[in-house]
This record gives sequence, C-alpha cells and structure tokens, in this order.
Amino acid sequence: MALVALRNVTKTYPAPDRTGAPVVAIDQVDLEVEPGDVYGIIGYSGAGKSTLVRLVNALEPATSGSIEVDGREITTMSERELRGIRLGIGMIFQQFNLFNSKTVWQNIAYPLTVAGASRAEVAARVAELLDFVGLADKARNFPDQLSGGQKQRVGIARALATSPRLLLADEATSALDPETTQEVLELLKRVNREFGVTIIVITHEMDVIQSIATKVAVMDAGRVIEHGPVFDVFSNPQNPSSQRFVATVVKGIPSPAELAVLRERHDGRIVTISFRDGDASQAAVFLELARAGVEFELVYGGINDIQGRAFGHLTLALRGPDAAVDAVIATIAERVDVTEVG
Amino acid sequence: MDRLFELQSEFWVAAVETLYMVALTLLIGGAAGLLLGIVLYMTRPGSLLSNAPVFTIVNVIINFFRPIPFIIFIAAVQPLSRLVIGTGIGNNALIFALSLAASFAIARIVEQNLLTVSPGVIEAARSMGAGPLRILRTVVLPEALGPLVLGYTFVLVALVDMTAVAGFIGGGGLGNFALVYGYRQFEPAVTWAAVLLIVVFVQIVQFVGNWLARKVLRR
Repeated sequence: MALVALRNVTKTYPAPDRTGAPVVAIDQVDLEVEPGDVYGIIGYSGAGKSTLVRLVNALEPATSGSIEVDGREITTMSERELRGIRLGIGMIFQQFNLFNSKTVWQNIAYPLTVAGASRAEVAARVAELLDFVGLADKARNFPDQLSGGQKQRVGIARALATSPRLLLADEATSALDPETTQEVLELLKRVNREFGVTIIVITHEMDVIQSIATKVAVMDAGRVIEHGPVFDVFSNPQNPSSQRFVATVVKGIPSPAELAVLRERHDGRIVTISFRDGDASQAAVFLELARAGVEFELVYGGINDIQGRAFGHLTLALRGPDAAVDAVIATIAERVDVTEVG
Repeated sequence: MDRLFELQSEFWVAAVETLYMVALTLLIGGAAGLLLGIVLYMTRPGSLLSNAPVFTIVNVIINFFRPIPFIIFIAAVQPLSRLVIGTGIGNNALIFALSLAASFAIARIVEQNLLTVSPGVIEAARSMGAGPLRILRTVVLPEALGPLVLGYTFVLVALVDMTAVAGFIGGGGLGNFALVYGYRQFEPAVTWAAVLLIVVFVQIVQFVGNWLARKVLRR
C-alpha cells in the first residue's frame, strides 16, 4: 500500500484582488509514493512543488481531493489530529529554519519534547542523532556558529528525531555549494537506506534527482505532467512540456539558438541520435556510418548516468551523397532514436 | 546654587517618585502591552490563531488611543481613574493613566518585534506537530527576545519622559521638581540638577538594556 496517496487533489488560493480569479496552485494531482521510495518532484519555480509537499503534512489544507498518509485520510482531520500526523513526518527546508535561540542539542530535542518524550529518552535520542549526522562536538553550539552544510545536518537530525517514516525535503540543498550538496545528499541516502525512511525531495536541480531519486514527477503549472522511474522520465520524456523541461536540465540536446550556430558552422545534414541504456551501442552506430561511407563529425552532445544506467544525446553532422545519408539514417533509426534537426 | 542645597531632601524625594512611577508603570503597562501585542500578533490574518474580529477590534482600539497627546489623555481618563483606583490626582493616578497609554504603545512595539521572527522557523515548528500556544511560548518569544529587550528599553526611556508631566494632576517626580522649584522660581541650577539626574537615569537604563540584549543575542 502506498505510504502517501494523493487523488485528484486541488489547491486554490483566494484571488489577490477582488476582480481577479482564484489562483490554482495545485491542479487535480494524482500521486502515489511507495514505502522506501526516494521520490523526486522537479519543475520550474512556481510550478507548485512546495505547495504540493505542504499538502502532505497539511501545513496547507487541500481545497479538494483526497490525501492519504499511511492509509489515513488527512483532509478531514481536525487540527489537533493533524499535529499527531505531523509528528510522524519529518521536514527539512531550503533555509534550514533552525531555532536561532536554541543550541544544536535543543533544536534536535524540540520535536521530542513536543511528542512528550521523557527527559532520559530525549537525551538518548539526541545523542544518537548527533552521532548519526556527525555533529557530536557541536551539541552546545548555536546555529549561527555553523556552516550551511552543518546547519542542514542539524535540520536532518531534528526532522528524524521522532523516527518518522516519511521525510519531506523542500529544496534542501538549493542554498548549498556543490560539494556540500553532495554531502547532504549522501546523508539523505543513508537515511533512506539505514532507517528505511521514505523521502519526498522537491528540487529544481537535476543533479539532486540524478543522485538520490528512484522515481520522479515533473510538475508544470500546478499539474504533474509526467511521472515514473527517473531513468525513463529523463531518457524518454513523453509529454511536450516535460520534454522542454528535461531538455533544460539534461546535457546533450542543443537549444534552437545553439542549433542555429551549429548549422552555420557545419555543412552537411545535422541529426541528433538519442541513446538509451540497452539500445544499440554507440560503437554499432559509428560502425554503420563508416560502412555506408558517410563522413561524420560529432558537433554537440552529452552522456548522462542515472543510477548506473546511461543515456545521452549526440548531435552529428553527416556529409556524403544524399542517397547514402538517407539510407544510413534509416538503418540507424531501426536501432536508436534519430531526429534530423537541420 | 544655595537654593539647591536647601531643596536637597525635596530633590531626592522627587527622584524616588520618578523611579516609583516608572517602575510601576513598566510592570503594569509592560504586562498589559505584552498581552495586547501577543493578541495582535497571534490573531493577525495568516498568523497562528488568525481571528479577524479580535484583531480588528484590538487594532482599532490601539489606533484610537495612541495618537492622543499624553497630557490630554491624563485629563480624559481622569473619571475612569477615579472609578478604578479611587483617585484622579497624585502619583498613583499618573501611574494609572501612564500604564494605560504605555500599554497601547508597547503593544505595537511587541507586535513589530514578534513579526521579525522568520515565518520559516514557525513553519518548521508546525511541521513538528507543535500547537499555536506552544509555538508562541517556545519559539516566537525566545526568538524575538533580543529585539523585545531593546524595545522595552526604548519604552522605559520614554516613560521617564512622560512622568515629567505628573505635576499636572498633582503628582511629583523630577519633572515636577524642575518646573516648580526651578522654572517657576527662576533657579536654572535647580532645573539643571533635575535634568542631569534624568540624563543619568536614562543612560543607566540604556546601558543595562543594551547589555541584556547583547547577552540574549550572544553578539
């Protein structure tokens, strides 16, 4: 059974002025997150990702639709019942949102106190978590004495304090430099692996999805326009909007402006070949080209790796007699995706 | 100068009266203002216990009384003062009027300082299942403590200023001393003695306030 199940969920905000229409932030979204998933939600800013994740722990009430968390419908719960649900869902934030007036130790202890844990339980659990995130020596420090990466590690420890089954990460690495981002992502991976915590990751960064997510949903204008295993969605997006989004985050597909430059600089016919793990190898394609006597030049491209499976796009300029080029494109197209772009 | 020596005992009595009025007002008005400020903060639209009617009523009351010049306010609340504390004149009547006026001003200062607490931090506490009153007590007030201390320091200095008009309703204090024995009897030295002592009070208050705020903010 899904740990989180959204069915036909809509969230609208009142119109900003009297005459305007209500703002639809989330538009008829269906989403299922299975226990153990690291579920990425990706999209441009303003697509509704942050609102969506706040519906899951009811920080924002849904306008309509059904949201089940761990088999319990939360849209009809009272605020008091919801507080109990929130104790079982951890959340981390882009700006960390640590309590600046409390020490690292007190920050991590806070949710335990809310949950009514005894003093001894709190002490034991905080020590355990400090150890897990590698900040045992910072227990008495205040947040403003920590680096960004350390702050987010405190955030993670605090979110895990009550041993939740679900962790919501709202752009948790967007305020960090690339190296620290990797550290935090590694930590999240461990959280998922060692404690079996299901994680929903909101991000606009492809790298984050690539390195930790197992499934992904692409959001645009409040809708989930495509979802599935990360490799499938990114190597072969179906929906035109998600193709456009994927093209901006995946290396290898030239933009129209870049294409114009390529066309100017290279003669011959320009084709983009898309490879997916399991398709014919690059070597086979190049061999085919050589055999047909077509001269080729690699002008643009990139290969991506998602959890050990590769896919990529190579753009080639092909030169030779028209008939030979046509024939070889047809031959290659039997094995891999070929798009003639100019 | 000689006159000042003759008035020594009156001078010190006046100083104690000023301290008495300021301290009691800070206690009563400070507590009432804190409460009103918290009500404003908690009930404002989109806040933890948002409640439009309560917010609007408190807001309008504060906006109504705040612009009234204090010396007129004293006269205006005199009947109420008689009703509540049994007298409309003297130091205690001044404390009554001043506490009332100060609580409205303090409410605004408290509200503004609580609003500096980042909404993200409050959201984090909500995401951990904390209720509104717990968040107020364990997150909002501690996070805003530094600015609150500075706000109350500012108020305390203003209270010293406002007690100077106590003489208007037969109260005492350094302000009254300066007017009665200094200004009206053409004794600038007497006036200036009161002024200097007030300056010393204010300096001490500001110094202690800054020190406390620094301690709370750890910088």
